[in-house]
Amino acid sequence: MDIEVIGDDPFGSEAYSKLFDEIMSDLNKAVLIDKVKLLLNPKTPLFVFSIVLRAEPGKKTIPDVSTVRMETEGVHVTITQERYAPDILAALWKRYGRNNVYQQTRFDLDVKGATEAELAEMVVSSGEEDKREIMGAIWRTMPEGIKNRRTLMDGNVITVVATEEVLLPEMLAKGREIHASMGGAA
Amino acid sequence: MFEVMMYDGGVYRSEELFEMIEDVGGVVLQKNRSSQMLTVIMSVPGEDKEAISKLCNDIGGVVKEVPLAGTEIAVVGPTLGRHHMPHPICDIAEELRRYGSITVVMGMARGRGKATAQMSRTEREIVDEYDAAIFVMGNFKSCVETKAELIRDVHVPTVLVSGPKPEGVDDCCEAIVSGVGRKASRMRTPPERAKLEEIADTLEAVLRDKKRSLEEDPLFVHPAEVKTILENYEPINMCLRPAPMVLHLDGLRIKIPYSEHREYLENVMVYGRRLGDVADIFPSKIDDSSIIVRIKTRSQVEDEDKARQ
Repeated sequence: MDIEVIGDDPFGSEAYSKLFDEIMSDLNKAVLIDKVKLLLNPKTPLFVFSIVLRAEPGKKTIPDVSTVRMETEGVHVTITQERYAPDILAALWKRYGRNNVYQQTRFDLDVKGATEAELAEMVVSSGEEDKREIMGAIWRTMPEGIKNRRTLMDGNVITVVATEEVLLPEMLAKGREIHASMGGAA
Repeated sequence: MFEVMMYDGGVYRSEELFEMIEDVGGVVLQKNRSSQMLTVIMSVPGEDKEAISKLCNDIGGVVKEVPLAGTEIAVVGPTLGRHHMPHPICDIAEELRRYGSITVVMGMARGRGKATAQMSRTEREIVDEYDAAIFVMGNFKSCVETKAELIRDVHVPTVLVSGPKPEGVDDCCEAIVSGVGRKASRMRTPPERAKLEEIADTLEAVLRDKKRSLEEDPLFVHPAEVKTILENYEPINMCLRPAPMVLHLDGLRIKIPYSEHREYLENVMVYGRRLGDVADIFPSKIDDSSIIVRIKTRSQVEDEDKARQ
């Protein structure tokens, strides 16, 4: 994660660069982020936190997070991304019933009566949920009193512009400028 | 001159220690027993300190210096939100407990932000009940300088802890320690531990001034003596709250309801005088479940006696 900090408070800039890194790592979001730009202007106050994600969070179907193989009575699923295991199991139970889903090991499942095509349509995670989690993580890194926030989102670029009282047009313009510099729509 | 020290060891033969404290005219300030381990903070006459230390070693314990014993300190953060808690506020409170003080952690209702941060009168009065307060602020210099104004009207000695070193706020507080701002993890590296010690040492120096002014005009009775007198009062003895009586430099906090026990406390006899005559007794601003006793100085009591005549 590459962090760039723009600010006139040397102590605060260094501290917030470290805080952002630590909090994102704690929340397991650091691996999803490619580039970060933080504008810290406590005197105004104006804070702009902009991030570029490694990939835009999109819908994830079962074949996206596991390997699926046809067998005589159904399909065999091998989960490759552990974090989706509970969602996969819940989706399969809901559609085929518990009796038809046999869990050999933590990551290996036999599903009776299922087809590869059916599984390819089953969504286990929507991109919205991932984005919401990342937004929550960004809010947590921001100073607590900076409550008036506007979020700009384009593809894999997320920018949060925040101030304490009234969000003035020039503040928003500065936020848009940083958003565009990170690859978002101007 | 009484000196405060802490015994840290087992319960084995601890009765001998308590007998000796009683024999030399000392007072047990705080006693914590956890399974077979025991810590005792005691106040003993200076000339008997060596004998007590020897006994502590003989019964298998160690003696530690506790310069903040007999004090109750508030560690105040802008809020109790996760941005400010638990690091570094709890780390500071923990360090102060190692120095022997009783600590409480407080957050303000509207302490967040720069332009909108406020400290209400009630909050200020609650902080004033403690011996001293440590205010923990954040990472931005301009914010710290603005928010330092909030503590200007606090009457007890205050230490301001912040990330950058603020300018122009020296008259708001007794001391400033910089280098500790908002943190996302525990303070456990050697430089961070050294910073915690610096905070505790700064507070100790600030309280030393307060103790010195109390020595110039001593209290009518030492708070530890009032504690000894009240220890056997049943509602205090049976109180299940941790540390039902907490010593302050100029009095004590008693964790029983004011409305029910005011009369008894006012009529307790201390050196031939009613406690109500030699101390101000009032309910805590937190709620009615605690009582604050502020012991008057000898000169205050004499003045009041003369005025009565």
